[in-house]
Amino acid sequence: MSDLQNRAGLNRDGQERVGASPQVDVQFDRPARRYQPGDRLAVRYRIDDCDGDRIHAIEHSVVWYTEGKGEEDLGVHFFQRVTDRSLRSSRVVAGDFAASLPRSPLSYEGLIVKVRWCVRVRVFFDGSRDFVSEHVFEMGDVPPARLPPPEA
Amino acid sequence: MTPTTNPFSTRHTRPGSIVPLDGRGSPLDIPLLVGRLRRAGGVGAIVGPHGSGKSTLLLRLADEIEAGGTRVERVRMRGWWDVSRAVLAFRNAGRSGIVCIDGWERLAGPVRRLVRLLAWTAGRGLVVTMHRRDSMPELATCCTSPGLLAAIVDRLPGRSDWYGTLIGAQDVRAAFDRRRGDIREALYDLYDVFERRARGSVPRRS
Amino acid sequence: MRLPRFFAKKRGHRRTGAREWGAFGDGLFHGMLLLGGLFFGALLATGVAAPEWRINHDYIESTGTILAKGLARSTREDPPGTVAETWQPRLRVRYTTVDGVREAWTRGSAAQTTTDRESALRGLASWKLGSQSKCWYDPAAPDTVVLERGYNWWLWLLALLLPGALVLIGGSGLVRALRSWGRSEECRAASTGLAELLDPLAHPPPTSPGHPAVPSWDDLVNSPGTILKYRLPIESAEHWTLVGFGLFALLWNAVLVVLAVGAGLDLMGGRIDWWLFALLGPFLVIGIGGIVLFVRSLFLATVVGPTQVEISDHPLVPGGQYDVLLAQGGTGVFRRLQMSLELEEQATFRQGTDTRTERVTIWCRPLVDCRDVSPAPESRFETRTSFGIPADAMHSFTSPHNAVQWRLVVRGVTDRRPAFVRVFPVVIFPQDPFPSAATAPRRSDAEAVR
Repeated sequence: MSDLQNRAGLNRDGQERVGASPQVDVQFDRPARRYQPGDRLAVRYRIDDCDGDRIHAIEHSVVWYTEGKGEEDLGVHFFQRVTDRSLRSSRVVAGDFAASLPRSPLSYEGLIVKVRWCVRVRVFFDGSRDFVSEHVFEMGDVPPARLPPPEA
Repeated sequence: MTPTTNPFSTRHTRPGSIVPLDGRGSPLDIPLLVGRLRRAGGVGAIVGPHGSGKSTLLLRLADEIEAGGTRVERVRMRGWWDVSRAVLAFRNAGRSGIVCIDGWERLAGPVRRLVRLLAWTAGRGLVVTMHRRDSMPELATCCTSPGLLAAIVDRLPGRSDWYGTLIGAQDVRAAFDRRRGDIREALYDLYDVFERRARGSVPRRS
Repeated sequence: MRLPRFFAKKRGHRRTGAREWGAFGDGLFHGMLLLGGLFFGALLATGVAAPEWRINHDYIESTGTILAKGLARSTREDPPGTVAETWQPRLRVRYTTVDGVREAWTRGSAAQTTTDRESALRGLASWKLGSQSKCWYDPAAPDTVVLERGYNWWLWLLALLLPGALVLIGGSGLVRALRSWGRSEECRAASTGLAELLDPLAHPPPTSPGHPAVPSWDDLVNSPGTILKYRLPIESAEHWTLVGFGLFALLWNAVLVVLAVGAGLDLMGGRIDWWLFALLGPFLVIGIGGIVLFVRSLFLATVVGPTQVEISDHPLVPGGQYDVLLAQGGTGVFRRLQMSLELEEQATFRQGTDTRTERVTIWCRPLVDCRDVSPAPESRFETRTSFGIPADAMHSFTSPHNAVQWRLVVRGVTDRRPAFVRVFPVVIFPQDPFPSAATAPRRSDAEAVR
């Protein structure tokens, strides 16, 4: 399964949102997308196929979130909002940002709790629509949790 | 190595992530329900047992009503102490707005009557979820079936990558039977099955 | 009154600005709650609490002679068209002030006001004309005199609790609404500090400074050990049950005592508050039940004897080696005493109206397994061992709904007493939090000696 999720390009029916569904391409400075605590993460992104809709702001964030059987928890490590006037007139928008990764939490593949790191690019269009693109990377070297043996 | 996403994790199965389906697994006609709600004067109840998709339907209904330009407030009742949030929702909904309350039975009987009276006098619509019918007009009844669970599983992300190998039709049916029709609990069970098979501790289906 | 109309379809996209208007309405509503709480609090304080306080502290004592009895009647139209009457017993008293002798009708209290004329008359029956009694008059207005003092606890509770709740709910909701005004999910999550404190729905657990999502370990190193460096605090369901029952019994019975004293004083004064007496019965039953449950829990918690675990260092790090000491007190024979290091995942989900918490032990390493253990009288059984943390172990993790927790778990099986499980949480950091102290993974004392 691809780790690339243009989540908010989908409406609640799982279909593409009416109107523009831009393509957000994100390139990490490390192709393997594996980092250690304290490493510098550098990302370049490109937004196109806006289909005529005007962008009035872009938010970049580096976040960790939980996945599994519990409610999703979210931790924002890096956040930046860009509202440059040049965004409005561009059909294709490109940008980059960088952040030093913290000491924790490390990426973790547990059984009912997983901790994932990702880069999010959220695009705000005129008319209060927004679109978010999420790109997972790994921090740390914690191996997947081994399952406990089935109860006898 | 890209981490494997379990399609049965809560981010893919929580209310709002899954399209509301009827008992046979076909997508519900939401505009039809909205029309039924209008004819009922803006008041209605979604009735069904645990894990039958009431919350999912309520959220989808709220979105549809909101898309039509009506103000909608959503409240999830965790206990009687959330009655203040319900009152706040009525206030925020504004004139001609709708208040959607998930967990109607968390309120005591007299409080429910009071809230209904508040909705009526304030001119707000009210849509609730409940496990058993009461005096509120019934908008929809949620029931479960193996077909419904199968239809939900079909709509989970990356189906082509894992269906038939990690999870099959027999697993879906077994989960439904084991949980006696509780879709939510059946999905939790399938989460566990997927997780164990993906990690290789239980052989994959051939 | 109009039925809702929601089919005036709009073209194009969904309505805009909904979130902002929602936040505005939210803030407005909570602001009104806050103002209401302050207003009613001030009203109750000035109308009830303050006058009662003055009577008990400022009024001057004198001796009065009862000259006459009477009833003061108040009428009000509530609801409009319906007249409601209330009665208040009053006594005419002759008393001496610094200015000389005065005669005045006593000032009634809210507690004496009643809608039942007969009840008010009965309130006068205990007073005899011509008799003398202590009285207290207001030095600022000497014509104001009372024959009774004391505090009406119901009204004080009312004056504090209800307005206090409104102020708390309104204030926190207002601040929350202001902080979340017009923000995206990431923007709201990026804000820290007061938001989490005031949001009643999400109370993130304390974390270690400089290590996001790693639980705080300060509370785990508060107690020095007798042999090893730290004594770990216990975290067991049985202890929380004991604390819970104890608190409940204490608070409930404290309220019960207050009510009983109030009822007794009323009875001695010739008044019977039937509502209060009716409440005392079930309150007493619940209070006794609370005490019984607490005593039972205390017995179960103490009969086995205390379990102590000490550790050579804390917090732990992957790759580290540590000594651990298990000490078990009590009498009799422990058929089996085990201690293991465990990793547990915990996930909480609210779906529909249910809250579901699931716990799974992912990893378990036995450290101690003793059989037929008999602690010596006035002493305790002790055993010491070493263990290592795997170099690739996941660190401790905590977030509002999910957790990865490391624990030392002690399990005991006895002959005639219930089996017990006692949990001692530990925190594993992603790496050494004090890198200047040692570059190599920490060693246990035993290895250091070698």
